[in-house]
Amino acid sequence: MYRYDPVDRLIVEERVAQFRDQTRRYLAGQIDEDAFKPLRLQNGLYIQRYAPMLRVAIPYGVLSSDQLRRLAHIARRYDRGYGHFTTRQNIQFNWVKVEEVPDILAELAEVSMHAIQTSGSCVRNVTTDPFAGAAPDEIVDPRPYCEIMRQWSTLHPEFAHLPRKFKVAFNGAREDRAATPVHDLAFDLYRDDAGEVRLVVKVGGGQGRTPRLASIIKRDLHWSELLNYSEAVLRTYNKLGRRDNIFKARIKIQVEALGAEAFAREVDDEWEHLRGGANTLTPDALERVAKHFVDPPLQALGTPSGSLPVGAHFRAWKQRNVTPHRHRDYASITISLKREGIAPGDATAEEMDFIAALADRYSFGEIRVSYHQNLIFPHVARAQLGALFAELDARGLARANISLASDIICCPGGDFCSLANAKSIPLSVEIAAKLAPIEDELGPIAINVSGCINACAHHHVGHIGVLGVEKAGEDWYQVLVGGRPDGAGALAVLTGKAVREGEVPAIVDFLARHYLAVRADGESFIAAVGRLGADAFKHAVEAERAA
Amino acid sequence: MSLVIELEAEGPQVRGLAAERAPPPPNTPANGGNGDVRKKIVPVIKPPAGPSASEWEGGKYLSMQEWLEGAEQGGAILLQPADDVRALRGRLDNAALISVDFHRIGDGRGYTHAFLLRQRLDYRGRLRALGAVTADQVHAMARVGFDSLALRADQDPATALAALGAFSTPYQGAPIAGAAAERAEAAFAARVRLLERALTELAARHARPVLATSLSAEDMVITDAIARLKLPIDIVTLDTGRLNAETLALIPETRRRYGIDIAVFRPEESAVAAYVAAHGRDGFYEGVAQRKACCGVRKVAPLARALAGRDAWITGQRREQAVTRGALAESEFDADRNMHKYNPLAAWVWADVLAYAGRFDIPMNTLYGRGYVSIGCEPCTKAIKPGQDPREGRWWWENQDSKECGLHSNGSGI
Repeated sequence: MYRYDPVDRLIVEERVAQFRDQTRRYLAGQIDEDAFKPLRLQNGLYIQRYAPMLRVAIPYGVLSSDQLRRLAHIARRYDRGYGHFTTRQNIQFNWVKVEEVPDILAELAEVSMHAIQTSGSCVRNVTTDPFAGAAPDEIVDPRPYCEIMRQWSTLHPEFAHLPRKFKVAFNGAREDRAATPVHDLAFDLYRDDAGEVRLVVKVGGGQGRTPRLASIIKRDLHWSELLNYSEAVLRTYNKLGRRDNIFKARIKIQVEALGAEAFAREVDDEWEHLRGGANTLTPDALERVAKHFVDPPLQALGTPSGSLPVGAHFRAWKQRNVTPHRHRDYASITISLKREGIAPGDATAEEMDFIAALADRYSFGEIRVSYHQNLIFPHVARAQLGALFAELDARGLARANISLASDIICCPGGDFCSLANAKSIPLSVEIAAKLAPIEDELGPIAINVSGCINACAHHHVGHIGVLGVEKAGEDWYQVLVGGRPDGAGALAVLTGKAVREGEVPAIVDFLARHYLAVRADGESFIAAVGRLGADAFKHAVEAERAA
Repeated sequence: MSLVIELEAEGPQVRGLAAERAPPPPNTPANGGNGDVRKKIVPVIKPPAGPSASEWEGGKYLSMQEWLEGAEQGGAILLQPADDVRALRGRLDNAALISVDFHRIGDGRGYTHAFLLRQRLDYRGRLRALGAVTADQVHAMARVGFDSLALRADQDPATALAALGAFSTPYQGAPIAGAAAERAEAAFAARVRLLERALTELAARHARPVLATSLSAEDMVITDAIARLKLPIDIVTLDTGRLNAETLALIPETRRRYGIDIAVFRPEESAVAAYVAAHGRDGFYEGVAQRKACCGVRKVAPLARALAGRDAWITGQRREQAVTRGALAESEFDADRNMHKYNPLAAWVWADVLAYAGRFDIPMNTLYGRGYVSIGCEPCTKAIKPGQDPREGRWWWENQDSKECGLHSNGSGI
């Protein structure tokens, strides 16, 4: 895990001091709302429907047990005893007080964490594969590049007031688990024939009201040019991005309007001036960061002893929640934060403390936060899976539903968010309940429920997506089908007009049962949609609703 | 009356400039800023009615288009956010001033204008930000190349001047991308700054803080920082009666060098006499108990007197120094003494201390030049060989895990 050196530490401490003074001046009436807004947003502070919300960055989803314990402490001391993990690998506290936020930030700084640029029109928290450094299909470990990008984009003086938010993701594996096609700027890392790390650069992906998959604008960027090229992209966007309408201000609008090729030419023109310049990464710079991401002391342990639990629950958990590790005697395990009756991605302070203690004993003190709003232990000895399962199960944290219908991605929705048109958490609970009888039969399926068009739950790339819309003060929903966030990348299509909340579970259930009826042997939901076309599913829904 | 801050070689200067338009006065936030809102997003952002200024101190501004159509010697350009500043290439030699108009805080195009003017067009003249320029933006504006900041009328110049120094080390360029030596240099500067911040903050937090110096290189680093920053932190030292002459010589030298007082605390004569009677003057060689008794008389008891009435004390301990200090915190509560204890050099390594000593030319005990690393009383301290553990030079006849004198009992892992 990356450890702050004095440079990192000083930046974060000075940032806390700066925001402490800004908050003091704001509360004293010396900074008006408009001027304070970008300041608080770029320190992670939203004003929500009922209370301010603080979004804390978990850079590329990597947490130490000490950091998780500090998050638990913050939840207990400054919030209502829980936190909400998000699709962008952050954590949100929904009930903080404005005047206490500087103290929270100071507590975070003590464990090398911050809330810098988790909101606002700037470069946001960098995300990647939660299995980085452990996945067998990894080509290049993305974490050093993520950390370098984090440092360079943090408090960049030129890019703090972009036209709109700017999300960056890295993928270094054969399977894209970082949802790169829906990011403003994304990189696929690979090795060229000479063994040098190069990057495929994609720009202009995004969701919201104008979903778009990112376009490739460069296929062979040398790693040393990562920052120079990113600077060229950001400068191009800062100059050309629309400033007259915030719905049209994301980079995707510009890429679409100019065309990816023309946009790439603008970037290349700018890059020509920057190549080999002050932000060209030296081998020293990469090595300095990369040395923090070496493997923990994994040992050859052989096959597990005969003491494993044998129950059906353990077998299901092992099948669903255990992922292969590149070391054959280890595995990565996912702790599902999709529990019955609990908002997806929520964990209490006690659970966080408990998970941190388990991470110390089973996973070298390391935890990952996933795009799917679950927590992952990246390096668990296979010989200890049974013992770990038993401990998790005793605390109700061993639900065996990873990638199944109840592993729903869901935004805070109208229960918390001031932007939401409709509630999302109760609906996700209803959908999971409706599909429960056929969950195992269905197998892997991604269901995403967003409370509004901002698409925080990524409904555009859900295998089944649900979007809350408002009609005459009531919660209504659209149901979409056929999206996928992985390397293949596809946007979901609408199945029909908006329906009332009560009808949504039945439509989702119909889509699921339709799949069961039409699937080929061994074919997953999304594979069936791929083979038959999303429109075929849409027409089936239309026929059903007409009947 | 609006003000402009101009960044000159000798430092930022505040100058008066007539206000051209008054912004709305600020209000205290409703509900303490904690909100209870249902936001309705208004997507359309109204375009500005016109430029935020029409004149500068030397006359009327020209728009970029007007400038390109006929540049005046000594004239000034007011750039708008949508201008493509690259059109000015080769046309800037006779400009007295270029101003960049910020119509609202959230429109960041002006930052890119400044970058391009400085880096791409090599413009070296005065570059001013005007319009929605608040104290909280001036640091970033200065970093992209503005050297003149016309503050919005409601902005307090003192706040803006302070904000110029909000961050000490840039997080871009050489410290991120450069060679190892460049990061090391930035890290050293940051270490020093962190020390200065820690001392400044604790001096503000406590009424009677004190540095207990052993005259070690570490304590001389802290002494130097306290003196440079003129912080209200007293400095005391212990003369155990068994110190090397080289160590004692540092007391007057330090006083002279920094013009500060160092209060010297000595053991009680009666207690020393009792120890000598019981164990002999050098009885500490006989065992840990005898050694700790000597430390008790010569160090621990005088320190207790030195710290009496204090609400915080500072030490130069470092984690690297000893196995007993591996978990040392930078700030801890010393329960034995019922006061805060600060170890601001906890994360420093010896190379950092040496780098500081060289950079700031601090008085150093001449014993360091003779192979001494950790220096205590004369009979209990010796030089070590390169590569040996620093604590090998202290109480070398004892085990590693007993090597504390008793001054640092709390949080030191014993």
